[in-house]
Amino acid sequence: MPVGEDLVNLSDEEYVVQNAKNALKVDPVAAKAWMITAKTLYPHNFAVQFEAYKIEKEAGHVKEAAKYFSDLLGKFQQEPQFWQEIDNVTSALRIEADGNDPEKQFLCEMFKHISLDVQHQLLLFTAERCEDTMEHCRLLLLLLQKFPTAVATYGPRLVDTLLSAEKHSHASNQPVNPYRKLLVCDLLPLLGAENVPVELAPKLLFKLLHKSTEFYLCCLDLSRNSQDPNINVEDPWKKLFGVLELTGRHLGWETYLTNFGNNWTKESYWQKILTFCQSHKALTIEDHSNTKQLLYCLTIFFLHCLYDYNLSLTPEACPGQIQTNLVLIEGFTDVNLPTPASEPKSKRRKGDSDNTLPHITVDKAENKNVINNFLMAVNCWDLFHSSDYLQREFAKVNSHIKLDPWLSKFLIDYAIYKGRDDDALNRLQQINEPNLMLTKNIRHASILYLRKNYTACFENILLTVQSFPITNRGTLSSQLIVGGTQRHLHFLPITQMAVLQYCIKLLTRCIRENLLKHSNSYNELAIGNVLVLLQLDWPQEEDILPSIMEQIHQRGSFSYLLFQAYIINVDILEELTYLWTEQGGQITLDILPHLGQRRIGTRGADKGVKEEIRQIIKRQIARNNEPLDQLVMKFITQERGHILQSLM
Amino acid sequence: MSQLSGPEIKHTLRKLEFPLCAKEALTKIGQLLISNRTPTLKHMDLALDLMAELVFCEVDRRGNKRPSPLTSIDELQLIDALYDYFNSTANETSRNSVFLSLFSGTTAMMRLGVLSKLVSIAVGVPSPPILISASTWMQQLGNTSPNSIQLAKALVRDYFILAPNTVPKLKILPKIAPQFVANFLTAVANIYFCDGKKDLFTFPPQCLLETITFWIKENPGLCIAAQQMQPSLPQGAIAMEATTPFAGLLKWCILASIYNQDFDLYGQLHLGLISSILEIPVLTTPRAISAQHLVVPAGSIHRYALETHSKLKRGEGGDRQKLFKEDQTLQLCLDRFAQAVQVALSVKCVYGNIEDLFTQLQQLPQNRLLHIVIGTHKQNK
Repeated sequence: MPVGEDLVNLSDEEYVVQNAKNALKVDPVAAKAWMITAKTLYPHNFAVQFEAYKIEKEAGHVKEAAKYFSDLLGKFQQEPQFWQEIDNVTSALRIEADGNDPEKQFLCEMFKHISLDVQHQLLLFTAERCEDTMEHCRLLLLLLQKFPTAVATYGPRLVDTLLSAEKHSHASNQPVNPYRKLLVCDLLPLLGAENVPVELAPKLLFKLLHKSTEFYLCCLDLSRNSQDPNINVEDPWKKLFGVLELTGRHLGWETYLTNFGNNWTKESYWQKILTFCQSHKALTIEDHSNTKQLLYCLTIFFLHCLYDYNLSLTPEACPGQIQTNLVLIEGFTDVNLPTPASEPKSKRRKGDSDNTLPHITVDKAENKNVINNFLMAVNCWDLFHSSDYLQREFAKVNSHIKLDPWLSKFLIDYAIYKGRDDDALNRLQQINEPNLMLTKNIRHASILYLRKNYTACFENILLTVQSFPITNRGTLSSQLIVGGTQRHLHFLPITQMAVLQYCIKLLTRCIRENLLKHSNSYNELAIGNVLVLLQLDWPQEEDILPSIMEQIHQRGSFSYLLFQAYIINVDILEELTYLWTEQGGQITLDILPHLGQRRIGTRGADKGVKEEIRQIIKRQIARNNEPLDQLVMKFITQERGHILQSLM
Repeated sequence: MSQLSGPEIKHTLRKLEFPLCAKEALTKIGQLLISNRTPTLKHMDLALDLMAELVFCEVDRRGNKRPSPLTSIDELQLIDALYDYFNSTANETSRNSVFLSLFSGTTAMMRLGVLSKLVSIAVGVPSPPILISASTWMQQLGNTSPNSIQLAKALVRDYFILAPNTVPKLKILPKIAPQFVANFLTAVANIYFCDGKKDLFTFPPQCLLETITFWIKENPGLCIAAQQMQPSLPQGAIAMEATTPFAGLLKWCILASIYNQDFDLYGQLHLGLISSILEIPVLTTPRAISAQHLVVPAGSIHRYALETHSKLKRGEGGDRQKLFKEDQTLQLCLDRFAQAVQVALSVKCVYGNIEDLFTQLQQLPQNRLLHIVIGTHKQNK
């Protein structure tokens, strides 16, 4: 042991401590004996006690350091040097995962060896001393996480602190902010733990539910476009259901409504809601509690359905393929086709008769869930509007959670589903985002067709075709027309082929229905235009052809100057050629550009002209393999005048 | 129990061969001592007779001392019978009663050989019931009594001298029989570093020292274990206070340096001891360490100082205290002494004449820590 002259001049305290320090390098055991001696000699001397702690810490003795640290906390809370160390401990605790800093690791390990009482004290003191609100909240949270028994006392206080901190921070109008995240993701689950006797006022509970819903919705929204780990919350729905359960538990709500469990289905939950409505028939202002519980459970459920619906509008693409959006549009019906089997009754609410509800189709079987998701959201929305009171209450919730951006898309679909054209048009007109223009135009065209405003419909078709998504070619649909008389809605994939096909069908109907308006309904231009349009998805609507041919046959002549440019379908060409032959009735085919000037009698025919027509038909047949979509698109975009003429 | 009279019992048992007679006699003895709450004198006498004649075969049927005691084989069979009997007696009070009757009193020293072997086996197996009874025995006879020290010596010989390779097995002994180990430690502490009148000054074997250091380091409450739990004694018996091993073992550590013993291991033991002292619960009446025991090393230190002094005197002479100050061996010894006294006083576990303790400490060669400690406690009074 070094016994230098320098030791002589030290005070007694310093002498003992210095001996411990000196021994540390050569004989740690002796150093410890010295330190124990020093500690017992000078129990009220901070420097000695703190030195003892530091020696244990440097020696890496977790248990001893923990013991000394606890002693210090009991006696020397006011020493600034010790506070620095307390800060080191709490900051180490918060970044427990950091394995790179041995000191931090040591402090975390040491914390685990401190008795629970002292741990509790430590965190509480630190939090109360903390001047930064966020730090204060984090520390209190750490305390609550480690000591669930403290939740009852400090939980509600921390809720208040976080709410007011958010309010006064610059991030108050952003639902995703650090205070909200702490409140919703970290604190609420603690308050929600079983057997925690926390008192929370109903008003506060609703506020927390609003805040949570807003937060998770926003997270869901943002996480689709961002990889920011602060936004990516794992399984937000499960967590939101957890908040609902917490609220319900405090307010004595029916557990079957608040407990979603792991294997719940939308169908079964909807049945529970119906059961609840059945057993609480008259939801009035007096029945405040029951309305609230239905209101909130239904809201969360509806938002979940709505979220799933919105997701299913953009189904997962197979690897290597482009993702395709679906858009709900008015489809077509044909009484001559067999009536499709309607979906099971259970999906519909009692009291709805099948006839008033539209039949909904989607092309691929794997996308069928979009229909169910939509119908479930519709069910919820209908229920919200089944009573004035509930409707008013929902409006209030909506104003808290700010759901409007979430609802806008659905409400257009809902209006279309309910056949409320005015409402749908109104909502469509509010859309200005460039990436939504295509769907806006399609739906606009669809509604204008229903309103028999054919020229305006065509203008929108033209806009649609001009703004095509060239990259996503897609395929033709076989479900745009279904049998029966009930309304038909279809989830149209936004691909070039599908949209074009829909536009063509709209336009065909515009022209044909416009024809019927006029008493003298033989209009060669209109007929010619329809023949051009029929070619795209031929033979889907070949049933139209016989009646057109009959009209031409009756009239005995057919003059269509766009013939050479656009009619190349073999079947149509054959039918026309047949009418032109002797057996067919020898009609006049006016398809040569200059025939008008050199018209000769129909009979005693000019052999040269006949030959010319034969050649033209031959040439047209030879063009049979040309891509029809390009042909039809060219027709729509370049023959605007001719098409408009057939719509007047 | 039986309606048989004393002579009838003896008569029946005498018909049996050894060791069967010993086995049966043990059962009888148990019944005699335990069946009534307080055995009558008659029963007691009968039991003692049975022990002497039928268990230990010390006397013949007429009560005359046998010329030849048990052969080694007989002794082994007896130990086996005793082992079985004690192990199968679940009631602690009963077991302790029979154990104490068998091995105390005037015959205690005579039977110590059998006892030592029995306990040695109980340590090796181990057998907690027998160790508890042995611990009670040590405590009731005094754990620093010659009997206890003989037992301790026997165990040290069996385990630490003859078969040191069994030592690792003993590491868990404090968990199995803490009271026994505590009493054993007190006894063992008194074997070594003692200036007996005729014995040479001896030091503990290395592996014993290692084991003790390990035990104490791992079990901070071990040293006071015997004080923490009262043994179950027959009615009317007075429980004797166990002496803790602190003072005895501290003496080893304090004196080690001046006797040129392994510094390292004693340092560790010293730390283990003062750490254990820190854990002693504060009592209104201190009982863990006697001031009189604590001060024992002072004598050896004085003698060492004198010898050193006389050696140096022949040389250049000079300032005595200066020489002491520069004697690192002495200073280490005094530092440890001062540390031990300081820690023990700080937890208020020292009883007896503390004033005298200080007086004796003040007469020791100068040491700054000792000076500080004395100063602090004089001040605090």
